[in-house]
Amino acid sequence: MPLLAVEDLSTAFDTEGGRVTVVDQVSFEIDAGETLGLVGESGCGKSVTALSIMGLLPKPAGRTVGGSISFRGEDLGAVPVERLQQVRGNRIAMIFQEPMTALNPVQRVGRQLAEAYTLHAPGASADEAKGRALELLDQVGIPAAERRLTEYPHQLSGGMRQRVMIAMALASRPDLLIADEPTTALDVTIQAQILELLRDLQRETGMAILFITHDLGVIAELCSRVVVMYAGRIAEQASATALFANPRHPYTQGLLRSIPRLEGEPKTVLSTIPGTVPDIGDLPTGCRFANRCPHVEDVCRQRAPVLEEAAEAHRVACHRWRAVEAA
Amino acid sequence: MTSYFIRRFLLIVPTFIGVTILVFAVTRLVPGGPIERMLQEAAMAGADVAASTSGFAGHGASSLSDDQIDQLKAYYGFDKPVIVGYAEWLGKVVRLDLGTSTRYSEPVWDTIKDRFPISIFYGVTTLILTYSVCIPLGIVKAIRHKTTFDNLTSAVVFFGYAIPGYVVAIALLTVFAGNLGWFPLSGFVSDDFDDLGTLGKIGDVAYHAVLPLIAYLAGSFAVTTMLMKNSLMDNLAAEYVRTAIAKGMAFRRAVFAHAFRNSLVPIATSFGNNITLIVTGSFLIEQIFNIDGFGLLGWESLVERDYPVVMGILVISSLLFMIGNILSDICVALVDPRVKFGSGEASQ
Repeated sequence: MPLLAVEDLSTAFDTEGGRVTVVDQVSFEIDAGETLGLVGESGCGKSVTALSIMGLLPKPAGRTVGGSISFRGEDLGAVPVERLQQVRGNRIAMIFQEPMTALNPVQRVGRQLAEAYTLHAPGASADEAKGRALELLDQVGIPAAERRLTEYPHQLSGGMRQRVMIAMALASRPDLLIADEPTTALDVTIQAQILELLRDLQRETGMAILFITHDLGVIAELCSRVVVMYAGRIAEQASATALFANPRHPYTQGLLRSIPRLEGEPKTVLSTIPGTVPDIGDLPTGCRFANRCPHVEDVCRQRAPVLEEAAEAHRVACHRWRAVEAA
Repeated sequence: MTSYFIRRFLLIVPTFIGVTILVFAVTRLVPGGPIERMLQEAAMAGADVAASTSGFAGHGASSLSDDQIDQLKAYYGFDKPVIVGYAEWLGKVVRLDLGTSTRYSEPVWDTIKDRFPISIFYGVTTLILTYSVCIPLGIVKAIRHKTTFDNLTSAVVFFGYAIPGYVVAIALLTVFAGNLGWFPLSGFVSDDFDDLGTLGKIGDVAYHAVLPLIAYLAGSFAVTTMLMKNSLMDNLAAEYVRTAIAKGMAFRRAVFAHAFRNSLVPIATSFGNNITLIVTGSFLIEQIFNIDGFGLLGWESLVERDYPVVMGILVISSLLFMIGNILSDICVALVDPRVKFGSGEASQ
């Protein structure tokens, strides 16, 4: 049994212009201890997928309208909110993109850390909680932890704050960490440190990570398997090695081509994917990538493609993947 | 931060001088003054007497010789240039002497002092009632945004806000004191107040206070309630609340454990200014209910050209206002640890 199984998940938002389906029949699984990358451009539904898993969709506008999310065999969509509270932060923890705003500005770091622990260890004394907070800060590599506990978030740098967020997430030794673009807001050097830290922590604790990013470079560094999303749907799903070696979906191919490479010819024009993502409120009936795809044919505009097994553990949602591969 | 507040307190001195010198100059420059007012009153009194005895209208101006008028002016210090007069006045203020009321012929401080209990009673009661209603109401409205409860209370609160307090006062007085006779028509206490026991006294004050308080409060809920509601809603949507829920906290608890204190920041920015409630009060409402508070005193002393009292009230209200501003700053610093006044203690 996988640790987390997301099956046909659909999430919609009620807007003034009617209901908009932001995540459309997304399925994937995460095994214990593995790192799954969820990649796609802004607005493709990757963050909403994460929030759906956590049950953190902004209310009342957002809701899951189909599919199931089962964690260790328990359908998180069907359990009462009290049960969800026991899972959140305890078995599944989450860190966010903006460490600047994700911490409460008027509470000391120590209190916020201790709270993450005591919420799931109700009997713990203040001393125990403080001890755990120190331990956690130490674990995420924050020096002078004792002093940091008494500081406020604004007294820490961005990288430090993200480390505090990670420490909070680790408080109850979760089975799964959902990391929603945790390095996007940070400097490149700090980014590398945080990725390094996550990798080390995973090795130490054996937790699984769902890593959400728009950065394929980060995926390559951290993930064993990758799910590529485009406009609310899964475009391609494969192991990281297979995806980088042999991308099958025209969108993935476009993405990989648009990364500047050291071995490339210097001073040449960087390849881009022409066109723009279709409006999420007005999606085409056929393939959502059709308007930007170099391999488009009539069938692409008429019917939406379904995920097909192109190779062992390599699935792609494209009518023309065979032709694309041959080309 | 301490140096910042010391600087703020020191700044009170020049600000105070600026405010008082302006008003002092205006009282000297506008036509009419306490002397003229007294002469006019004397003339009218003389005219009444004259009319009733001999049927001739007397000439008021002749009741005092120019010499006597000059003496009066000298007595009140109106014979000197503005700056000299101001310097003398300020010199007395520094020695805690606010001068003598031209209308009551008693020390200004005594005149003002008599109003304090009444104004403090209304000020503090208004303050307590406003915050104890607005903050919980704002919280509930934020949590139940766009429900029937929220819409209904908004309607009520804005209805009260839209009607001027004195109109509410007249309406209340007409219906509940006039027609129904449930509440007294006017005054702060009954005539037999001194004969009542402690409980009776409390009851008497409360009995007299119901209608004026409603008139005072009708319009005062809207601003603070909506400020609390909007500020809390902003914070409920903040990412750190999402973090708290992601940690496994229940939403309700996250409201109080995380969002609440953050949403008090805008409320705190005006909290210190409530100290001026002690000396404000609406002269219209006080007039309608015949309450001898500060509002009425200020208004009457202006009409009667009782400039020493006008200046005395200005001294107290401007000082309280400036102290209130500093108190607000302290409140904000207490609620929000990010606020660091001054440059000496910047965070690393």
